[in-house]
Amino acid sequence: MTATKPSPQASATTFSSSEPALVKRIITSTAFMIAVVVLVLILLFGALSPNAVFLGPANFRNLALDSAQLILLAVGMTFLVGAGELDLSIGANVILSSVVAAKVITLLGGTPEEVLAGNYSNVGVAIFFGLLAAVATGTVFGIVNATLVNLLRVNSFIVTLAMMSVGSGIAYIVTGGVNVSALPRDLQKNFGSADFFGIIPVPAVIAVLLGIVAWFAMTKLRFGTHTLGMGSSIRAAQRAGIKVKTQRVKLFGIMGLIAGLVGFIDISRFLTTNIQGHQGDALAAIAAVVIGGTSLFGGRASVLGSIIAAIIPAILINGLVIMRVGSFYQLVVTGLILLVAVGIDQRRRTQPS
Amino acid sequence: METDLSGLHPPDQPVIETRGITKSFGHVEALRGASLRAYPGEVLALIGDNGAGKTTLANIIAGVHASDEGELLLRGISVDVASVRQARELGIEIVYQDLAQAPDLTVSQNFFFGRELLVKGIGRFLGKVDERAMRERTKEAMTLLGAQVPSLTVPVSALSGGQRQAIAVARAVMWAKAAIIMDEPTAALGAKQTAMVYDAVRAAADRGLAVILVSHDIPKMIEFADQMAIMRHGSVVAQMPTAGLELVDVLTTMLTAQKDAA
Repeated sequence: MTATKPSPQASATTFSSSEPALVKRIITSTAFMIAVVVLVLILLFGALSPNAVFLGPANFRNLALDSAQLILLAVGMTFLVGAGELDLSIGANVILSSVVAAKVITLLGGTPEEVLAGNYSNVGVAIFFGLLAAVATGTVFGIVNATLVNLLRVNSFIVTLAMMSVGSGIAYIVTGGVNVSALPRDLQKNFGSADFFGIIPVPAVIAVLLGIVAWFAMTKLRFGTHTLGMGSSIRAAQRAGIKVKTQRVKLFGIMGLIAGLVGFIDISRFLTTNIQGHQGDALAAIAAVVIGGTSLFGGRASVLGSIIAAIIPAILINGLVIMRVGSFYQLVVTGLILLVAVGIDQRRRTQPS
Repeated sequence: METDLSGLHPPDQPVIETRGITKSFGHVEALRGASLRAYPGEVLALIGDNGAGKTTLANIIAGVHASDEGELLLRGISVDVASVRQARELGIEIVYQDLAQAPDLTVSQNFFFGRELLVKGIGRFLGKVDERAMRERTKEAMTLLGAQVPSLTVPVSALSGGQRQAIAVARAVMWAKAAIIMDEPTAALGAKQTAMVYDAVRAAADRGLAVILVSHDIPKMIEFADQMAIMRHGSVVAQMPTAGLELVDVLTTMLTAQKDAA
């Protein structure tokens, strides 16, 4: 307690004088610190790489393309973690959505013989409905997650752990364990590996645009306040008349939609599904979210921090490969950064502000 | 919201009246016909032993629970409050024992939590909140009660217990149009902070609101409240003005009265 005198003049000055300055808030924000880390990593690899190839435009294009999918997943995960929820099933969701999309594309693309030869007679319609199928599958998957959490009254960690198994199981059943490949090359040429102005990858542009929308929703819209309020105290949110279950459906639905989109980007880049892959997607996204300054216990979230932190794995893989060090070290370094980030966050939390 | 409400109804008509409210939780009968009347501009202390049904009755008036039987009247008209939202629309606000604040949200965000002010224009359609207006209104409401916090843009978790309590009271006063219910608002506070909250409660009553104060502090209630309703075994066994009331009489009623004495 610093002030209790009920004098209007005193309170007016108290209010206006001690709002923290904008510059100070930016510099002390986790997003800013992570941005510094990313910058240091880029400069470090730039200095260490032969002929500074790491800093070349072609490499930046690769970085952007490689981080796009993780950025998208991390953005969706920021809302869930901010709301005190988790989704461990996003990797399975990405796989299932991509499988359904690939199936739709091969079914609509032409006769089986044509498709097998990679010669799609009906490519436009096939791709359009493929995208639709991916996004729809992802969204439904997410809504199922939320509905199960709401109905079973079990936390989302357990529900999505189970759904991770269910989702990849269905993907295996649908495909018989064989990846759907030989997808139309137009998908790669015009979308998955396409560039704006010959250098900016389309998936990266999508990731950044979605990131901006997400940042706006989190910081400026009622949706963001309700999300963080729910993560801060679910009881307070209920008492404030917020429809927590509906909000949960929306949040998981958005996460699922993003996972579906990522699944579509994935098949667009590689022209095949990858049912054995994406095992680490959920944990990589959660790691990026936490490194970026979102509290793992909900209530505080930074979309910008998540986006910046989601670039780190790509930078590490890329830089280590250029330096001819095994890219597996990336996992170790990402893990260490996560530990440091959580450590800093914990320190901040226990210190009186 | 900041208008004087005292002229809206005659002071002899209760703003809130309950008649024969019953409520059971499973096999436990929490309320067995509780009746009370809260008047405009007055503080009604709701006292009783643990388990007498004080919090349950308060929660029913605020729409947290639905009653099994009985009637709730707002300014003499029977109303149905099936949810907190409905109670709020009728102008009844509650300050919970645990405050029910979101600790990570700022002071003004908590003030408007669930009832955010939106900007005008296209942004409104998207649900864009008007932070500036919310801060202004929060500041007004806090100033009105003489309550102070260091900043409106800090999370409430950074504030002291007294400040958080004051925010909860000021928030309720800002929204209430008829009555405020407070459940043990000073239970966790030091002397100085308690005084601050009582000042805020009195200021709320002076604005013409009916205040129902659930409390264990009987001596303080005799001194502070205007009326006292004593609960025992799920019913209100007596309601009377506090003027001239003796502690021993209150305690006797609280611990020995039979239901039919009501």
